[in-house]
Amino acid sequence: MTKLVEKRTVDMEIIGDWVEPNTRVLDLGCGSGVLLDYLVQTKKVSAVGVDLELAKITACVRRGLAAYQGDMTEFMRAFPDQHFDRVICSRTVHELGDPTAVITEALRVGRALTVGFVNHGFWKNRIDMLLRGRKLRNPVYTTEWFESRPANPVTIADFEHFCVAKNIHIARRAHLAGDWHSPCRMLPNLFAGYALYDLAR
Amino acid sequence: MTDDIDTLPSAPGAETTPRHLAPGEVGLVAPRDFIYSQPFSFRSGQSISGFQLRYETYGTLNATRDNAVLICHALSGDHHCAGWHTPADKKPGWWNNLIGPGKAVDTRRFFVVCANVLGGCQGSTGPSSSNPETGRPYGILFPFVTIGDMVRAQKLLLDHLGVIELHGVIGGSMGGMLALRFATDYPRFTRRVLGMATTGRESAQAIAFNEVGRQAIMQDPAWNRGDYTKDAGPRVGLAIARMMAHITYVSDASMDRKFGRRKKDTANSDAYTFDVQFEVEGYLRHQGQSFINRFDANSYLYITRALDQFDLAHVDGTLEQAFAAVEAETLIVGFTSDWLFPPEQNRQLTLALLRAGKRASYAELSTDLGHDSFLLESEELYGLVRGWIERDQPYVFDYAI
Repeated sequence: MTKLVEKRTVDMEIIGDWVEPNTRVLDLGCGSGVLLDYLVQTKKVSAVGVDLELAKITACVRRGLAAYQGDMTEFMRAFPDQHFDRVICSRTVHELGDPTAVITEALRVGRALTVGFVNHGFWKNRIDMLLRGRKLRNPVYTTEWFESRPANPVTIADFEHFCVAKNIHIARRAHLAGDWHSPCRMLPNLFAGYALYDLAR
Repeated sequence: MTDDIDTLPSAPGAETTPRHLAPGEVGLVAPRDFIYSQPFSFRSGQSISGFQLRYETYGTLNATRDNAVLICHALSGDHHCAGWHTPADKKPGWWNNLIGPGKAVDTRRFFVVCANVLGGCQGSTGPSSSNPETGRPYGILFPFVTIGDMVRAQKLLLDHLGVIELHGVIGGSMGGMLALRFATDYPRFTRRVLGMATTGRESAQAIAFNEVGRQAIMQDPAWNRGDYTKDAGPRVGLAIARMMAHITYVSDASMDRKFGRRKKDTANSDAYTFDVQFEVEGYLRHQGQSFINRFDANSYLYITRALDQFDLAHVDGTLEQAFAAVEAETLIVGFTSDWLFPPEQNRQLTLALLRAGKRASYAELSTDLGHDSFLLESEELYGLVRGWIERDQPYVFDYAI
């Protein structure tokens, strides 16, 4: 087991804690369905995931999960208000072309929204950038600039500001330290490696 | 559905083992007939005194009688979806690449059933069958058939075979419509649905193409209001209908790749004639000619009419209401180059199922083969089918953090 897998289970656990049992959950950018499978097994949720890649959809179908291949915003537009009890956007926001549109739609079709992201403002990232002056390369940011997709990295301060500007209510937040394991209680924009937000309108 | 599915060239040494004897193939198969000898009422209100369905099965029904997988064919398809009827057959059944021991639809595990639809002409009762009241073919006195009627007849066959629950039902194009109707009409019976390149209702464009086909048949004097003998009939009209429909099953890109603007070797050096000059012309004429030898023009009218009339939403008001009773897990697969039943229509089906609170998935394959892409030899497609039909054991999570 690689360390990355272990880190993954920490945010999975927090995401799971915020999910009510037997509810309807939508996962935006569901990948191979690991998180949804976990939520189905632990919370008996009625789950559906959205992803762009056929291989991910196939992996979800193999797990017995409902998954939809396509654009997440278009997907959400096909649903009435508050159709889902919770929408989850885990490690996806930094890849969105129009994060405001996705989050706005997610807060319309969902009663609650979980957003989890890597804090780009983490102190090691700042120092690395300052000293090396190059694109971050570490276990989290694994690719060279020339082999990366366009990304829109976000910091905790950016995200908090976004919620204020868009009048989005933050019901809960969880900041994890650089090990993505222990809680980070101080200056999260500097010391937290990973952030989770529970949002509502 | 086109007749000529491009099959991969056979592997070296294939000559030593005939394909029908090769491991991983269902081998030689024989069709059977199911005779239902009680009155059968159609949705139109008309009825017949009984009917016959020609079908094939591969694999074995298990002791709990719940491992059946029903294959539903498209407009011009039939019950022969896998294996060979004789060692001399040039081609195996139309979905042989998908069905067989160890294939995506594994006949070692599943009892596979495929029947020619009611209203068809490949051995099932349809307009070319003899009307017991007159002793002559029904012609257009045959009752109007709907997709729901076809499904009800196939359910009677499955009951006859002792199937108590369908593990799954698979269909492309019209076959997908049948599969969806199984889910709505027999919700407890139908555990899984896989619809490919299908729709909940045809668009105006698809109806328009069907209408041109029907007009080609009905404007042929030999149609004679549907009254013709087996060897006669509107052969010209049916061939034209098939030529045009064939174009809608493929795509600009795939035709360009296959034919481009290449000319026939035999083409007259004089360009100013109407003889066949381009390969694509010769190909379409061949498609038309081979079709009239195996298909009945009246069946073509009846089945295209059934396709046009099919409207899941219309029956119950909305698609969500139509799907309200569904218990099946559904997988819908769309193909990017399908312009007859385009991806959007396949997506709409999935979204409606999800809005109705059902477990449904949508996957999309990038192909340039058009509507008939569902017959593609594609590991990606096989992987999807396997995932849908077999399902891995539940994943185990390590809760220790």
